[in-house]
Amino acid sequence: MTDAAPTATPVPAKTNGKGAILEVNGVVQTFGGIRAVNGATFNVERGSITALIGPNGAGKTTCFNVVTGFYRGNRGSVRFDGEEVFREPAHRIARRGMVRTFQITKALARMPVIDNMLLAGADQPGEKLFNNVIRRGASKAREAEIHEEALVLLDQFNLAKLKDAYAGTLSGGQRKLLELARSLMTRPRLLMLDEPMAGINPTLGARLLEHMERLRTEDGVTFLFVEHDMEVVMNHSDRVIVMAEGKVIAEGLPEEIRANQQVIDAYLGGGASEKETARTQR
Amino acid sequence: MDLVYFAVNWEAILSVDFLIQIMAISGIYAVLALGLQVNVGYTGIANFGQAGFAAMGAYVMAVLVTGGPDGDGLLSFWIAMPVAILVTMAFGVLVGTVSLRLRADYFAIATIAAAEAVRIFAQNADSITGGNQPLFGFDSSFESITEGIEDFFESALGWDTPLFTGFVVVIWITLVLGAFVLSRMQRTPWGRVLRAVREDEEAARALGKNTFSYKLQSLAVGSFFGALGGGFLAMYFGVINPNNFEPAITFLAYGVLILGGLASYWGVLVGAFVLYALIESTRYLDIGLSEAQEASLRFMVVGLVLILLMAFRPQGLFGKREEMVIGD
Repeated sequence: MTDAAPTATPVPAKTNGKGAILEVNGVVQTFGGIRAVNGATFNVERGSITALIGPNGAGKTTCFNVVTGFYRGNRGSVRFDGEEVFREPAHRIARRGMVRTFQITKALARMPVIDNMLLAGADQPGEKLFNNVIRRGASKAREAEIHEEALVLLDQFNLAKLKDAYAGTLSGGQRKLLELARSLMTRPRLLMLDEPMAGINPTLGARLLEHMERLRTEDGVTFLFVEHDMEVVMNHSDRVIVMAEGKVIAEGLPEEIRANQQVIDAYLGGGASEKETARTQR
Repeated sequence: MDLVYFAVNWEAILSVDFLIQIMAISGIYAVLALGLQVNVGYTGIANFGQAGFAAMGAYVMAVLVTGGPDGDGLLSFWIAMPVAILVTMAFGVLVGTVSLRLRADYFAIATIAAAEAVRIFAQNADSITGGNQPLFGFDSSFESITEGIEDFFESALGWDTPLFTGFVVVIWITLVLGAFVLSRMQRTPWGRVLRAVREDEEAARALGKNTFSYKLQSLAVGSFFGALGGGFLAMYFGVINPNNFEPAITFLAYGVLILGGLASYWGVLVGAFVLYALIESTRYLDIGLSEAQEASLRFMVVGLVLILLMAFRPQGLFGKREEMVIGD
């Protein structure tokens, strides 16, 4: 398989020291007797692209769900931009600017692509039923703005010509792009992507990464993403957080993580470390 | 050689009297199904309690107007009906609040139970509702309107109007208005959020939408039409008793929804008319069976039509085929 990533050389860490946008502290989530997340603690630096990795069942997605309010964690603290958001309802967390995507894309299948985008537009007064009567003007004006924003984004993501197609007719990769574009409509400050590269072809994957880099530089969006493709993680993230068995076992620059014996053991299982070394040297 | 006896009384089927009769009954079901369309077709919540909302609307209105079985008048119909609608909407929100967290099918069961609770309450609260004794004497205000319409037809057009003509005019004006307003609502950003909830609730939440609130709002709108339909049902019979509100009412309204097509308000109007035209016209299908046999045959015909529809036109008369074909 060819390496389709846009940059062959590792991106230098751009963490700009403006402090953490997300501080997760001692988060616990149990299901019956199972502790899926068992005291996870980590920070995400403002303006960084941070990868969250770990073996299957490490609790990455569960952690995402607790942080974004989709699960009501048992214990812990989640501070977004300095404010405690632990156990806040998901929609309120999203409105604060911490927006997530899903491992399995959630395109709103029986709605056109453009409606998928418009739906996500922030601050639309017309989403309150009576505002369509008493604040009709404001609602219509905002709708026009949102529509314009949506077209610009669809254009950037090469989806413009599909805008009237049902989202359910898009390919897997196009859905991933749509989901990213759609989440941008909410004007997020922190985007949390759950396996953005899974199930899409390398060309689209490369484009997705380009978009992430551009959004970070141009709009200052912070990214936290779960990913299994080590090439992507090592080449495109500023920092890497490693989870295993519900805990964060390491946090640092990609090079540090690559060299961390504890990570190699936990992540790949003892015997696999040789294989990984061989792979990264290839 | 024996001839199979088969005759259709076309004269009866094509008469104005028959048309008015169909439009009266199908109108009631269309009002109920309009509310269901908001819930099922556009929000994706399986409200199976429409008969209960109808019962609530009808009984609150009737009790407020009459003052109960032994009362001698309490409120004007024009105050009682809006109050009944508001009470029913509040009840809808209450049912939603306690049961919307359930998974789709369990929610459906909970709403059937809620509807049955209303009906059985009405059956047993003798002193308020008259129990199984029909409650009557609430329809004079409404009748003054329908009679006014009929008088107008008679004096202006010289048309000797059949029974229920005024009722049909009122209910179908209500229906056209209702379908129009609902279609407009559906095109607003509010309606877009409802459709997003139908498609994927979690995705909507992830984009900052309070989906629980939207589902409650959808139920409130649904029960508004439930109460309204209950009011019309009461006016149609002139009396009400708990048997008018059995769960079958809800199921037939679902039949309307399937026939007309999901996610189409105008489809509800046409679907209701077609379904009742079918049910009622089989009455005039004379194939030499006893009355009881024919009564059962009528519903078999309806069932067969629905099966054929599912096989050859699953989107219903007005639904969008693309929306049926697209999965996730």
